[in-house]
Amino acid sequence: MLLKGKNAVITGSLKGIGLSTVDLFARNGANIWACAQFQDATFESHIRKLSAENNVWIRPLYFDLLDPEKIKGAYQEIRESKDQVDVLANIAGMTHDALFHMTTMEQMKKVFEVNFFSQMLLTQYITKIMMRNRAGSVINISSISAIDGNPGQFAYTASKAALIGATRTLSAELAGYGIRVNTIAPGVIDTEMTQKMPPEVLNRLMGKSDLKHLGLPSEVAGVILFLASDLSSYVTGQIIRVDGGIG
Amino acid sequence: MAGSDNGGSMLLQGKNAVITGCAHGIGKAILELFAENGASVWACAHTKTDEFEAMTRALSEQHHVQIRPLYFDLHDQEQVKSAARSITSQKLPVDILVNNAGITYNALFLLSSMEKVREVFEINFFAPFLFSQYIAKAMMKQRKGSIVNISSSAGIDGNAGRSVYGASKAAVICATKAMAAELGESGVRVNSIAPGITHTTMLSSMTEKVSGETVLQTAMKRMGEPEDIARAVLFLASDLSSYVTGQVIRVDGGM
Repeated sequence: MLLKGKNAVITGSLKGIGLSTVDLFARNGANIWACAQFQDATFESHIRKLSAENNVWIRPLYFDLLDPEKIKGAYQEIRESKDQVDVLANIAGMTHDALFHMTTMEQMKKVFEVNFFSQMLLTQYITKIMMRNRAGSVINISSISAIDGNPGQFAYTASKAALIGATRTLSAELAGYGIRVNTIAPGVIDTEMTQKMPPEVLNRLMGKSDLKHLGLPSEVAGVILFLASDLSSYVTGQIIRVDGGIG
Repeated sequence: MAGSDNGGSMLLQGKNAVITGCAHGIGKAILELFAENGASVWACAHTKTDEFEAMTRALSEQHHVQIRPLYFDLHDQEQVKSAARSITSQKLPVDILVNNAGITYNALFLLSSMEKVREVFEINFFAPFLFSQYIAKAMMKQRKGSIVNISSSAGIDGNAGRSVYGASKAAVICATKAMAAELGESGVRVNSIAPGITHTTMLSSMTEKVSGETVLQTAMKRMGEPEDIARAVLFLASDLSSYVTGQVIRVDGGM
């Protein structure tokens, strides 16, 4: 039970890596504010079951990352609960496939809004709570394509690269308050996003990895758990690739 | 500590590990944490002492695991080979190898003797390389395993006075990546931890002025403890890192 008695805020909880993280955190004893864009009945019954099985509370929190007022509202709800926040996992994000010259400024701004500005706004709010407790761990989800580059994903890779710079600076600024900030760069993970890829593209990508298979959302969640827990007590400002060995 | 409050969440339950350099410092902390998390361990050390024997016995009893002491000198290739063979001949799966043993050396480039250069590479690079060849072969047959090499932030950053030590640790990093590429298909993961300034006897080779300045350079403004490093090694040894290979993770408080 690596997170016994800790409270975590997880965004993007409805599916994929976010949902796996909610499951793994609950099994490790964490209470969770499970953030998602829409209310979803299947999700609500899943988290009710999960919280009963693991003897933790899981509170759904719905807001749109494109709306700063809604982000603020979510923060206020968390703050008013008076519960401390030990972990923030910024998992929600959007993908965008377009060549540089085909990317409109409007699209570019939307991708940065969701993948960067909204995450930083939420992080500003939540770390304020963490600073009072003088403890906390923030985990951002970037991408190996932000480090390696990926033709055809200009806005996406640039927005994910911004998170890496933010991680380095934030870790230095917040260390004095006992807050660690790290980022995970997943490779090719078996999610809805990759299921839409043509099989030949997927096979080529898998062939590039040392382990020669796709990663599972639960395998990314395992690394998020490491960074959230005291197993990583002396790890901050790091970018950890979870890619089966591509770079 | 991790796993100790609930038997069901021990991260290495039923696994067998080989750890070198278990007598003190980071190696000892890894040994203790692994035992606490349910692993049986071949605990390798240079010299047999009553203290070490007593420690391994106590750990075995306390955590209901088997800690088997194994003594050999990394300077001696024949001893390294026979130690590896004595492990693989036991027909037990070897799930984890932690190449932790190493020596430090602080000297300016122009003052580093070739004799010392060769010795540092012998212990920090050639010996673990040879040892890993034998253990990895067993892991490949099992089609699973996790190898964790202890490198150093000095192997990435290059620090004055650390040309020899840093270069030996840089060699470890490069070998880690190449091994990951070669062994991945057989289900063997290979990663490296790069500790920053850590509170061990190795530290006494640094002047207090230098170590004090280095601590101030960390974001967390403190030195790492052997337990901090051990916890990150536990992560890489366990299935929490099942899709992580070929990586070097700095455990340095943010430098």
